[in-house]
Amino acid sequence: MKKTPYFEMTNITKLFARVVANRNVDLEIHRGEVLALLGENGAGKSTLMKILYGLYKSDEGEILKDGETVKIQSPKDAMNLGISMIQQHFSLIPAHTVLDNIILGTVHGRINYTDCEEKVQKIVDKFDMDIDIHAYVRDLDIGEQQKVEILKALFLSANLLIMDEPTAVLTPQEIDKLMEFVRSFVDQGNAVIFITHKMKEVMQVADRIAVMRNGEVVAEFPCEGVSEAKLSNLMIGHQLVEVKSGTRKVEANTEIGLRVSKLNYTKNNIKILDDLSFDVGKGEVLGIAGVSGNGQQELCEALYGSIKIDSGLIELNNTDISNFSTRDRIETGVGYVPVNRHDDAMVSDMNLAENVLLRSSYDKAWSKGPFIGEKKLKAYSDNIINEFDIKTPGSDQKIGHLSGGNQQKLIVGREVHIGSSLLILNQPTRGLDVGAVNNIHAIIVDQCMQGKCIVMVSTELSEIFSLSHRIAVMYKGQIMGIYRPDELNTEKIGLLMAGYSGDEVAAHEK
Amino acid sequence: MLISLLSRVITLSTPLMIGSIAEVYAERSGMMVTAIEGIFLIGAWGGFVGYYLSGQALYGILIAMICGLIIAAIYALITINLRQHQVVTGTALNILVAGLCAFLQRVFFGIPTTPLTVEPLQKIRIPVLGSIPGIGDILFKQNMITYFSYLLIIVAIYVFYNTSFGLTVRSTGENPEAVDVAGINVSKVRYTVVLTAGLLGGISGAFYSIGYLGMFTDNIIGGRGWIAFAICFLGNWKPSGAVVGSLVFGFAEALGIYFQTLGTNAFFPTELFIALPYLLTIILTVARRSFNTPAKLGIPYVKEG
Amino acid sequence: MKSNTGDLIFTTFFAIVAGFLTSALMLLLLGLNPLNVFAEAVAIMFSDKYNIGDIFVKSTPLIFTALAFAFTYKANLFNIGAQGQFYAGAIVAISVSLALQNFLPPAIVLIITLLSAFVGGALIGTLIGFLKARFGANEFLVSMMSTYVVQAVMNYLLRTFLKESKGEYPQTDAIDASIRIPRIWEGTRLHAGIILSVLVAVCVYILLYKTSLGFRIRAVGLNSNAAKMSGISIRKITILTFLISGGLAGIAGFTEVNGVQYMLIQNFNPTLGAAGLGIAILANAHPIGIIFSSLLFGGIEVMGNIMGRMSGLNIPASFIQIMQGLVMLFVIVSYFIREKIAVHRNKKKLMEAMEDAD
Repeated sequence: MKKTPYFEMTNITKLFARVVANRNVDLEIHRGEVLALLGENGAGKSTLMKILYGLYKSDEGEILKDGETVKIQSPKDAMNLGISMIQQHFSLIPAHTVLDNIILGTVHGRINYTDCEEKVQKIVDKFDMDIDIHAYVRDLDIGEQQKVEILKALFLSANLLIMDEPTAVLTPQEIDKLMEFVRSFVDQGNAVIFITHKMKEVMQVADRIAVMRNGEVVAEFPCEGVSEAKLSNLMIGHQLVEVKSGTRKVEANTEIGLRVSKLNYTKNNIKILDDLSFDVGKGEVLGIAGVSGNGQQELCEALYGSIKIDSGLIELNNTDISNFSTRDRIETGVGYVPVNRHDDAMVSDMNLAENVLLRSSYDKAWSKGPFIGEKKLKAYSDNIINEFDIKTPGSDQKIGHLSGGNQQKLIVGREVHIGSSLLILNQPTRGLDVGAVNNIHAIIVDQCMQGKCIVMVSTELSEIFSLSHRIAVMYKGQIMGIYRPDELNTEKIGLLMAGYSGDEVAAHEK
Repeated sequence: MLISLLSRVITLSTPLMIGSIAEVYAERSGMMVTAIEGIFLIGAWGGFVGYYLSGQALYGILIAMICGLIIAAIYALITINLRQHQVVTGTALNILVAGLCAFLQRVFFGIPTTPLTVEPLQKIRIPVLGSIPGIGDILFKQNMITYFSYLLIIVAIYVFYNTSFGLTVRSTGENPEAVDVAGINVSKVRYTVVLTAGLLGGISGAFYSIGYLGMFTDNIIGGRGWIAFAICFLGNWKPSGAVVGSLVFGFAEALGIYFQTLGTNAFFPTELFIALPYLLTIILTVARRSFNTPAKLGIPYVKEG
Repeated sequence: MKSNTGDLIFTTFFAIVAGFLTSALMLLLLGLNPLNVFAEAVAIMFSDKYNIGDIFVKSTPLIFTALAFAFTYKANLFNIGAQGQFYAGAIVAISVSLALQNFLPPAIVLIITLLSAFVGGALIGTLIGFLKARFGANEFLVSMMSTYVVQAVMNYLLRTFLKESKGEYPQTDAIDASIRIPRIWEGTRLHAGIILSVLVAVCVYILLYKTSLGFRIRAVGLNSNAAKMSGISIRKITILTFLISGGLAGIAGFTEVNGVQYMLIQNFNPTLGAAGLGIAILANAHPIGIIFSSLLFGGIEVMGNIMGRMSGLNIPASFIQIMQGLVMLFVIVSYFIREKIAVHRNKKKLMEAMEDAD
């Protein structure tokens, strides 16, 4: 006889203004199990879970607990049923302390702080969380902030924990600790739904797997004995051609294009860039690996000129550009694809042609006196659209209406043309579906052929390994070492990312 | 003489105190009450009309509160439920209220031959405390709205830091999504603070007409609602900052009146003193370098899905 | 979100009508029949060319103050000080006019006065922009307070240096008839200022949408971060937009002093700044839309004045502000309705597509 699931979602359909996010989805989760919800970006996993958590309302379908229909119209309803969700973007108040963040919404009337402190500290100790409850959240690193999110859920006595891509911001060692927590939590009779697009993690922790694609659940089975190839097939719908590492060869005598020497940058008394030095050859991809928040963002901005470094030298093609403004660097041929395209690289309400103009509004090529040369601009934009196969009705389409992949392609296309000497890429394929990822990887490889220096920051190790000629690992503003891909493996790079020096790692190997 | 000056400082600070504390709560939840000038004005009008027609100051204050509440409710509806722009909505309401008050004066009273007046609120001396030399004359010989403001300050500061409501309000302006996810209704929080600002702003407005001047004129508020708005800002969004800010501006105003009565027009033109509070705001706005602006101030909360 | 111009015109029209209807209700409080009052007022307005001319006369300065707010709004900045910049322009206009009036040919004086008025307003604007760019001062507060300060200065000047020779009222002497802005419609007050205002509005449109500078201003307004990352100097744009914005409001000082009042009177046109803000919002900060919205507001003012003059009815001038305020509120609400319609329409399309596919 089939056991009644702890929670069950039946026939869930959810529409947004322009897309069908979930289509007739059935899903169940049992007590004592970890269910991995696997699928690539855009498959509908987050949407489905947000419905379960009451953040979204489904257009059709039902949710049942222990066989009985329940109404979940808000997170409060979900929490009353014992469901808690830890989202990719944390719901924390940076300006408040850990304690204030945890007790928000759980206290009434006068706050008895002594009492609250006691209760919260108990849970911190019980799950061995190692965190100062009086610290301000804005001062915590991302791994610690995630712990606060988890504590919030535990404080509310959650029995079903939904975690949305929790490992994106963790080092391999921190990921292991998280998996330990998940197992011990589940062993106590609770349940966890783990949303991810990373197959390795699925294999590591899940009891059962549900694969989603295009808003539907395409398969559901126990984790035992499943092969990665089968999973990847289901996720994408066809075989993935992997770009293997080792197909890239390093030329012996590459001319140095970018020379970075002793970069230093301090903010709020914290050293963000610490005596950073490296070279990049022409036509070489230098991959920058490391957990987010160790100075990679600032390195990119320092190279681009949008932050002022305290000291150091940046030399591009034998020109000292250390004191050049962003505008001057653009003119010198520096292109930059930032990690937050919405904040830094595009204007959603402007059309594609205008976004192409964005970086080049001072360029005489596009102006007729004070006026914008609209025909020339349109021709140029259409060129980029065709060259990079961007799906859009035309260059007068608002960029905000394009899919994430197409937006990124436009930005990459634009920067690739501007960056005639140096291309800075920060997580160029984050959040994109596999098709777009492959496109952009192909573009990057192509740019190497043209002899440009490419600095690529990424947290996706597979991307780093497959595209880089050399890999530099950053930790707390320093470079822990620069290696060729064949000199590293996952464990080694994990240790480097966690702050172990090259020597320590080498000693560890022996 | 100094005593009377300082006493006047307290008097003039009162409406700014009440208004700016209300604004602090509202802005901490993410709402800029840009209709504050209109709320003050309609409070002044309602207070006057209520007092004049009933003969009782208390009814005046009550009517003032109701009038302020109505304007705040319209503002809340458009900015919270309909998620429209706060500056724009506030401006529309301010224009409407300006016209409304003058119009309704005509409706109620026609065109009077002599200006209508009421007896301004009496200064009440509190026994025992009022006898303390110096402080007693300054703090404890004020009208009842001022005494209300003392109570308000204490309650406001306590609630802000020591209660669930205070924590919720402070969190809402920083990250309404976090508050939503914690199971609290963000709209409800914002409605509460905005409507309260309507009530309190109404009292502040009434202070000018029935607590101080004894009459209603179209220009009675003359930008002081905006000064309360500015004080919230300059006080770094803390109730204690609002108190200090209000005292500073009350002092500037009192000083202006003092010099005007001295008739030193020869040395300083009167216009300088009239402009003093506004100049002060500009200088302080520039001087203050770092702010604890609530992260989501002015941004409507849009729930997805 | 796809929401077309048809929606825009439709909902805005209804909003304006709703605004009028609600304000009509206020007339009931005076014991009047609103339908009669409005009907008569409209009849009077369009029967006499003087009144029609006056619509344009009233609209002229409104176009300028609306453009002033809209211009900085495009850069996501708030210039609430248009009223003060208008006064500054007026002060300069009257001073220059009185100083030069018989020394130079009238046409030259007019041009110099126009430019000086622009500069007067632009100075105030630049100051505000500078404080924002250099010190990060909140321009909303600074600009708002600046109006009160300029007003105090104006009152001081009217009491002292600029006071009329008679010394009776707080106003200046009248300017010479030769340097009045020429009238362009016989029998009305309509002067060439309206042509100037329309031309300027068109120029602002071209500047914002057809030039590189305008592009940069709009980019800063839509996403200042991305703009900064593109090498655009936020500081320079801030100061420049405030300069132009202040100047635009300053020109209104010229049209009112040299075209209507022929002197500077204390506290004249006190609601020009606020009305300009409202108009800019109605028109969604679009320069061409501003022309039409200004005409609407000008029309409201003329109608209100006519109502005020209708004998025995006792309608106060404040009724104008009630109409303006209500129209604005309803238009704001109409934005919401338009958005809702668009989302609903899109969702419906999707559901239909889904059903077809199944």
